[in-house]
Amino acid sequence: MSKVKTFLAVTGISAAVCGLSFGLLGVAPKAGVLVAQGQVKVADPTSVVMIVNRDSNDIAFMDIKTKRLVGKAFLGNNVNPHMVMMSPDGRYVVTGGTRANKAYIIDAHTLELVKVIPVDIAPEHLSFSPDSRWYYQGNPDGDSISVIDMQSLTKIKTIPGFAEPLNVTFTPDGTKAYVGNYGAHWVGVIDVRRHELSKKIQIAAPPGTAKLDPDRFLGELHGINIATPTPDGRFLYAADGALGMVGVIDTREDKVIKTIQVGKDPWRAYMSHDGKYAVVPNNGDETISIIDTKTNRVAATLEAGPDMVGVNFAAGKAFVISNSSGFLYVYNMSSLRPAGRIKIGVNVNLETATTDTADQKLYLAVSTTNEVVIIDARTEEIERVKNVGLFPWGTHIMDSKDNYCH
Amino acid sequence: MLKALKCTIVVTMLVLVTGSLASAQAPAQQSQAEMVARLQQLQKELATLQAAVAETAKVAAAPQAGQRGGQTPAPAQQGGRGAQPPAAQQQPAMPPGMVMPGGAAGGDPNNPEGAPADSTDPAAMLARIKLLEQRIKDLETGAVLSDPETRIRKKEVYVDKNGVEYDQPTPGAKRVVTYERERVYRRNNINEKIEEALSDAEEHHVKVGVDAGIVSQFAHRTKGDAFVQDDGTETGNNHAYMLASADLFFTAGIAQNTIFFADIVGLSGPPPDLELGTLSLVNGYSARLVNQNELNLREAWLRTELFSNRLSLTAGRLDLTNYFDNNAAANDETSQFISDALVNNGALGLAENGAGLAIVFDPKNGFNFKAGFQQSSHTATSLSDSFYSLAELGYVARLPGLGEGGYRFWYRTDNNETTGYNIGFGTSIDQKLGPEVTLFARYGESQANPKRDKFYSGGFQFAQGLAFYPGDKWGVGFSQIDPVVGGKEQLVEGYYNLSIAEKFNLSFHVQHFLESDSGTKRGYLVPGIRLQASF
Repeated sequence: MSKVKTFLAVTGISAAVCGLSFGLLGVAPKAGVLVAQGQVKVADPTSVVMIVNRDSNDIAFMDIKTKRLVGKAFLGNNVNPHMVMMSPDGRYVVTGGTRANKAYIIDAHTLELVKVIPVDIAPEHLSFSPDSRWYYQGNPDGDSISVIDMQSLTKIKTIPGFAEPLNVTFTPDGTKAYVGNYGAHWVGVIDVRRHELSKKIQIAAPPGTAKLDPDRFLGELHGINIATPTPDGRFLYAADGALGMVGVIDTREDKVIKTIQVGKDPWRAYMSHDGKYAVVPNNGDETISIIDTKTNRVAATLEAGPDMVGVNFAAGKAFVISNSSGFLYVYNMSSLRPAGRIKIGVNVNLETATTDTADQKLYLAVSTTNEVVIIDARTEEIERVKNVGLFPWGTHIMDSKDNYCH
Repeated sequence: MLKALKCTIVVTMLVLVTGSLASAQAPAQQSQAEMVARLQQLQKELATLQAAVAETAKVAAAPQAGQRGGQTPAPAQQGGRGAQPPAAQQQPAMPPGMVMPGGAAGGDPNNPEGAPADSTDPAAMLARIKLLEQRIKDLETGAVLSDPETRIRKKEVYVDKNGVEYDQPTPGAKRVVTYERERVYRRNNINEKIEEALSDAEEHHVKVGVDAGIVSQFAHRTKGDAFVQDDGTETGNNHAYMLASADLFFTAGIAQNTIFFADIVGLSGPPPDLELGTLSLVNGYSARLVNQNELNLREAWLRTELFSNRLSLTAGRLDLTNYFDNNAAANDETSQFISDALVNNGALGLAENGAGLAIVFDPKNGFNFKAGFQQSSHTATSLSDSFYSLAELGYVARLPGLGEGGYRFWYRTDNNETTGYNIGFGTSIDQKLGPEVTLFARYGESQANPKRDKFYSGGFQFAQGLAFYPGDKWGVGFSQIDPVVGGKEQLVEGYYNLSIAEKFNLSFHVQHFLESDSGTKRGYLVPGIRLQASF
């Protein structure tokens, strides 16, 4: 027993002296690697809402039960993180720093920054492969996707050839990833085994009268934001803003099986949790188009609000976020009729929301008031959690079906 | 004990030496790769910054020649990608290991000292890193707004009777709204700042819009004798007409949820209605306008929204048909049917615009309620002598197996001096039969002695897959006016609206009017072309 104690004592002292010697010799850990040594702040990664704060440059973690912040991961000045996501295995939280051109990896339990990885220009939206192995970071200004290996925490490749890539969607088996190109009319297909752009699927061609309307077709291009999957991953719904179309892609054959005309300037499709409907906010005419995924036809076109940036589903309703009006527009997903609206505030900007895994509550980021508003989907009562950070841009809950960004 | 201490010292020394050796080896192995990576990263950052500087210079030199074609940029928070405006145009990043080409004078601006980029000499690489870092620092200072941004934020605080302010609710303290400056670490480039400034300036200006149309119509009499006008002249069998119309809109936000709007319209050229003498207007452009060939103030009003924007009040000179008797498929003479009978309900009986008030209550749950009044005759000397009032209940319904439909029911009164007090009621329905087809119908009755005048209309609008181009639409419609006194009118119209550009439409129309009165009939076939520009 005394030998064991002696060994432990020796080892402890040795480690301490060794650490001291590293410090004295000025030998730092490998550049960009920050070793997580802190205490566990989040034991269960499903118990927190992550809030990405653009102007305070941090990720805040709020306990779902107590509605209190349990910690923040500061990323650095002028990082301006855009979207946050937890790896499916619950080990890491990642974000892209749009103004720092870097990806940030945070330990999901200690909330410490464990790695900073330079990527391409202006990283925004991101996604994980279902097995948590690959973190794909979209770089819209670099026209590329950065591939980060989550085992070694290194960037292994930059896939070029995109046109303002925004959101990435992995197939359930993780063999393919689909990338929405906001600066083009096609969806990119990445072969995940080789991390290569293997195919471009055009949603629709501009009409023959396009040359008569150069402002619309040669000006600022609103292309494809995301290819939204059905719950089984069999089909993707990709809305093209400039063309006012939604293309339905068969993921087995990687081809467009139908194009559906919706309203003006559709933002993207949001899939209802049961997969029956895809809701498309049309910012050009302030309506929403509800697509029946069985018939692939527009089942309803309903009046909505200006500057729509997100849709969440809960308690049998769809909640459409109108960024500049301060309202959530509510729709009954059984009758496909309007069901009122919820006022969040005046002169506020509503960003995006996530829905809890029980489909009961929404967590909405309100950037201009630095708060997260919790909405009970059934009663439509709201509760405000103030001072979550500066300019909260989005929220995320592990395993939520409404994790998205704008 | 002594033995253990000795043992500890020996092991410690061993670990210390091993650790030192290992740490001495590691930097030597890593430094080269790291420095190459750092160099590449710095070159990329430098290229980005230089692109930003070049873009800024370009914008400063020619501010109207931006990629938006000189149009005012969209607000930063608008729909699109929220408040992340597009970054400055980037120069293509140099592939790893490639040496940037040097310029004719002064060489490569990123490598003025001419050091080879792929040098493996650690000292040269370190010097180059230092140089590049300094250059980035210089560029960031001059070209990129790295300073913390300052902005004013609305804030709720709690103030007690002594004036002490608290951030959190405190016993004895009252909630007060105040404004406070805050600093944030947001990095914007100059382009973004210019866009924000332009967008901000636009919000404080009066917005102007134009809706211009040119309608060429040709009337061919198909039945009956020529129509004799009041002055005794007869209409010919074939006459051509051209009407040009231009609406100028002015909109300004003047307070929270309050806007001012004015619409000045100029009409030039005779519409067919001056000759054909049909019961309803052949060309709806001239509806409810008193004077032709001169400027008219169609509308000028103030609107404010109350109770969480559920209730809107609009007061001023109004065209009440813009608020009542709406229809998704037959409501706009500039893009749908051109006949006034397929734009509004004939039983509305509203001949001109006038001063009034419109109240709309819309809780956005499918129901809405509207009420309003206006002066119905410009010759009346008081509102009491020409008081026209209207109320409507609207509902968005979904019938089994069909798409959504709008169902509206209205009731109106009028005490116009020419007709005396009379009432009217009606309905306006549009029902989607599918994404491509919309059915519409109107019915109305207006009081007349001894019975009521009757009006009904209906038809279909087709769009999406049933047209040549995605933005096109076409429709067919029928209407009948059956007044107690005078003849009956039946109208059939078909149109095709070709969406040439987002702001420019070309439509082809054909109308046929059949007027019957006391056994005599007159028929007119009126084909036409409409060019419409809205911007």
